[in-house]
This record gives sequence, structure tokens and C-alpha cells, in this order.
Amino acid sequence: MNSKITEMPVEIVMVEDDEGHARLIEKNIRRAGVNNNILPFTNGTDAVNFLFGADGTGASNKTKPLLILLDLNLPDMTGVDILKRVKSNEHLKRIPVVVLTTTDDAVEIQRCYDLGCNVYITKPVNYENFAHAIRQLGLFFSVIQVPAAE
Amino acid sequence: MSETRRSRVPLQPILLGVGFFMLVVISAATVWLVKQSSTDAALVAHTLGVQDKLSNLLLDLRRAESGQRGYLFTNEPAYLDDYRAAIPDAWLMLRQLQEVTSDNPERTAELQRIAGLMGDKIAEMDRSIELNATGNREAARALVLGGSGRDLMNGMRDLTERAIRDEGRLLGLRTTTSQNNNLRLLFITLAGAVLIVLIGAASIFLVQRSRRESEQARRTVEATNANLQQIVEYRTADLTEANEEIQRFAYIVSHDLRSPLVNIMGFTGELESLRQDIFDEMQKLVAEMARLNALSPNETETVEKLGKDFDEAIRFIKTSIANMDRLINAVLKLSREGRRQFNPETIDMGAMLTTISETVAHRATELGATIAVDQLPPVESDRLAVQQVFANLIDNALKYGRAGEATQITVSGRTAGSKVLYDVRDNGRGIDPRDHQRVFELFRRSGPQDRPGEGIGLAHVRALVRRLGGTMTLSSELGKGSTFTVTLPRRWSVENRSAA
Repeated sequence: MNSKITEMPVEIVMVEDDEGHARLIEKNIRRAGVNNNILPFTNGTDAVNFLFGADGTGASNKTKPLLILLDLNLPDMTGVDILKRVKSNEHLKRIPVVVLTTTDDAVEIQRCYDLGCNVYITKPVNYENFAHAIRQLGLFFSVIQVPAAE
Repeated sequence: MSETRRSRVPLQPILLGVGFFMLVVISAATVWLVKQSSTDAALVAHTLGVQDKLSNLLLDLRRAESGQRGYLFTNEPAYLDDYRAAIPDAWLMLRQLQEVTSDNPERTAELQRIAGLMGDKIAEMDRSIELNATGNREAARALVLGGSGRDLMNGMRDLTERAIRDEGRLLGLRTTTSQNNNLRLLFITLAGAVLIVLIGAASIFLVQRSRRESEQARRTVEATNANLQQIVEYRTADLTEANEEIQRFAYIVSHDLRSPLVNIMGFTGELESLRQDIFDEMQKLVAEMARLNALSPNETETVEKLGKDFDEAIRFIKTSIANMDRLINAVLKLSREGRRQFNPETIDMGAMLTTISETVAHRATELGATIAVDQLPPVESDRLAVQQVFANLIDNALKYGRAGEATQITVSGRTAGSKVLYDVRDNGRGIDPRDHQRVFELFRRSGPQDRPGEGIGLAHVRALVRRLGGTMTLSSELGKGSTFTVTLPRRWSVENRSAA
């Protein structure tokens, strides 16, 4: 997965409060042969600070090709808030957002797509299914085109 | 407040009683006094009559005397006629007087004396007339001149005049009494009137006060009512909030419990693949040692035993996780059902039950079971919820049939007031009476645990029925069958949903 125009490798921003989940996700993405850099954040505040930069405009990331892997249940804010802010930010709105969460509530799924989420995946409890889903996602990552940064 | 009220209650009738009593007294007094005053008037008239008659008596005697004198003086017999006419008049008058004054002994005595004098006088006059008539004119003149007749006349006049004066005194007395009585009557009437006015005023005051009090009480009751209503509203709101809180809590708990479960499951999976790697490695080592003939026979066994223990441990962990996942999912499902908005619509229950039987027709045929749906009254409720309720009940009836007996399921219904009742009856294995409550509890089951299931169905059904504003009852005998009765309001609305 890379951005062809800038030739800069895509970085995966992983917002996941559970370190176990983060580890399992990373393991399985790697198993799919995806070697892009993964930036893990265990809470919403840190992730928002990184994405929107010190000035809070998101301009600091406009030159970087990014992909966001977002959990909805965070200790300090909901992933939905982050999704809303990213998708309504001038510089960040084209970043593909993959919501990866335990919630399979239909209303929640609808809301995320309404807000501009690109992919919504429910974490299966069964590990075989989980590992399979993440590996599939990894394969998906290896083929999707991430829009070039401005 | 109750103290004063208790003391006030009898005041009104007492006042009324007093007023009535006063009226009776005034009326009686008035009647008595009016009668008295008529008696007084009669007495006055009587007195005046007596006076009149006394005067007449005197007048008649004077008439007789003047007739006698005229005759003696002129010898004209016409005067004698006057005399003769006056004498019976005088006697008549005297008799009348004696009659009307018979009640007065003093007057009777006086009249007796007057009568005596009258007799003497008339005798004297008769004698003088007789003497004159026989020609003895001188003797008659001498008799008159003798003055005895004049004395008699004067004595009689004095007596009569005294009687007239005495009657006048009686008249004055009686008039005064009559006036006094009249004054008394006036006073009593006025006093009574004043008292009645006072009682009336007091009554009006009391009525006004009790009206004010009842108005006050009414307002208090109204305020209390409003307050009660508010309290009920608050409590209902509290209850609804608490229920929502429980739903949210159940949702959050079950949801958040899944997260660590993913880790446990995940790293158990990782352990499994690690075990594969480790044992592969050990297998290689064992093979290497066997090649070097350094292998003791127990070594292979130990490795195999370790592998089995490892697998057993992993298997238990995985089964437990799968169980826990099922339970969490069940809680999640229930909490989600509890949060779903209901859309009431009129449901053709017969059609719905037929659809449900068709859905399970394949299974029913395999089991040799029959499902009969009677005429069912329609209900206005949430279609999905009602469908889930009956699908669960039919499913249970199919699931818990009796060995060696073809399952027969009957669904019947009836209307009772604002409720509709549906019975789902089967001839299955039945439920022990001790478990009649328990089967409705979450994760609780009854009888031999030889059928798959988590103990969620009936808990879910009861929660749904309660939310639909209805109730669930069960009558069942072990080995005979069960009847689940679902009672629903004919029309579901947000108001009649139960707080449960």
C-alpha cells in the first residue's frame, strides 16, 4: 500500500484503547504481508492531537498519506466524534477511515457510514474469525488506493 | 383543624333549633296576648255596658218620678202613663244589671240595696198616686212633701253613681292591663324579631365560614391531587429512567465484556499456534535424540502427555469463552430489545400464527407434531415483538415434546374487556410446578438438560410481553403438557406499557 504520486509510504493510524486488541490487529495485519508503519494510539486525545496537529487545523498532516483504523469505544471520547471531526476537516476528509469495533448495533453502523466512514468491521469474538477478518483487511489494505496528500 | 371542625358541626342545628323555638314562643305569646287583649276589650265593653245600664236605671226611675210628680201636679192621666211605662223598664234594667254583674259580689250587694231602695221608692210613689186617685190630694201632697221619697231617690242616686264610679275605676284598671299586655306583645315580637335576625346573621356567618372552609378544603384537596399526580409523574419518570439506566447498563456491560473476551480468545489462539511451534520443535528434538539413541522411553510419553494436558487446558478455555460469549450476546440482545421503539399496528393473529407454523412446518413434520390454530381475536400491538413471543412459545412446545407421544400444539384466543388472551397449549413433557417462576428467569432452565438452549427464550418472551403492557402465566403439569397464556392490551400505547 502506497501513494503513488508522492511515493511516500502510507502510515496506518491505529486508534485502539485495548492494547491486547492492538497487538492482535497488528499481528494479523503483518501476517497479511502489510509492512506499512503503524502508529498506535490508546486514547482519543492523543490520536486527535496527532491528526490535527499542534494548531488543531490538521494542516500538519496534509502532506502525509494516512489511513485510520478506528475503535469506537475509547476511554476519553467516542470514536464517532473523531470520525466526525476528521470527515469535516478540510485537510483530513479524504483519509480512508476503517471503523473496527465490537459494536454490531445497526444504528451505530448506519451513523458511521452517514458520517463518512469508509469501511465498518465488527470484531468477531471467535479468534479464528477475528484473525481471518483482520488478515482480509490487511489484504484489502494492500490493494486499495489511498488518495494522494495535497 | 379537625378540633375546631368537630366543635363547629353541631352549632348550625343548635342555632336552627333556637330560632325555631323562638318562633314558637313568639307565636304562642302572640296568640295568648291577642286572646288576652280580646278578653280585655270584652271586659272594657262589659264595664261600659254596666255603667250605661246603671245610668239608664237611674234615668228610668227619674222618668217614673217625673211622671208621678207631673200627675200629682196636673192630675193629667197622661203623666200616669209615663210613670207606668218607666217602672217595668227600671225593673228590667235592674234585672239585667244583676245578671251581668253576678260575678261581682260587691256590685251584687249594692244592687240588692238599690233594689230595696227602688222598691221603697216605687211603693211610696204608688201610694201617693193611689191617694191622689182616691181624691185625697192633700194626703198625696203631704206624702211627697214629707221628703221620704226624695231621700230615697237621693240615696239611690248616690249608690248608682258610686257604682258607676267604681266601674269607671275598673275600666281604668282594665285599660291599663290591656295596654300593658299590648306593650308586652310588642316587646316580645320585637325581641323575637331581633333574635331571629341575630340567629339569621349567625347562620349566614356560619354558612359563609363553612363555605370558605370547604372551599379551602377543596383547594387543599386539589393541591394535594396535583401534588400526587406530580409525585406519580416523578415516580414514573424515575422508574422509566431507572429502566433505561438498567438497559444502558446491560448494554454497556455486555458490550464492554466482549472486548476483553476478544483478547482472551485472541491470545488463546496465539497460544495454540505457539504450542504448535513449540511441540513441532520438541518433536524435532525427540527425533534428534532418538537418532542419537539418547532417548529414554518415558521421554516420548512425557512429551505426548504434556501435549494432551496443553490441549485440554486450551479446550476448556475456548469452551468457556464460547459460553461466555453466548451469555453476553443474550444479555446484549435482551437489552437491545428493551430499547427498541414499538410501532403498534393491527395484527391478524390467525395469519401471524399460521405464518409461524409454516416456518416450523419442516421440523414439525420430522417430529410428527401438529399445530392447530383456532379463531384468534386481532390485537393492536408491535408486530415484531408479538411475533417473537409466539415464535418462541411454538418453538419451545416443539422442542420439549414427550417421548413416544406425537406433539399436539393448540393456539386459542379470546377477548376479555380491554385485554386479549392467547393460550399456547401443548401435550409435551410439562414443567415442574416448582420451576414455574424459574423458567422465566434469564439463563434458567427446567427438566432434563437434553435439548440445546441457553435459557433465554422465556425470559425474552416475558420481557417483551411486559413491555407490550401484558402479562404471562403458565399452567403446567409434569408429564401432561403446558399452557402458556399471554395477556395483551387490545390496543398498545406508550401510556399502558408497564414500567417493567
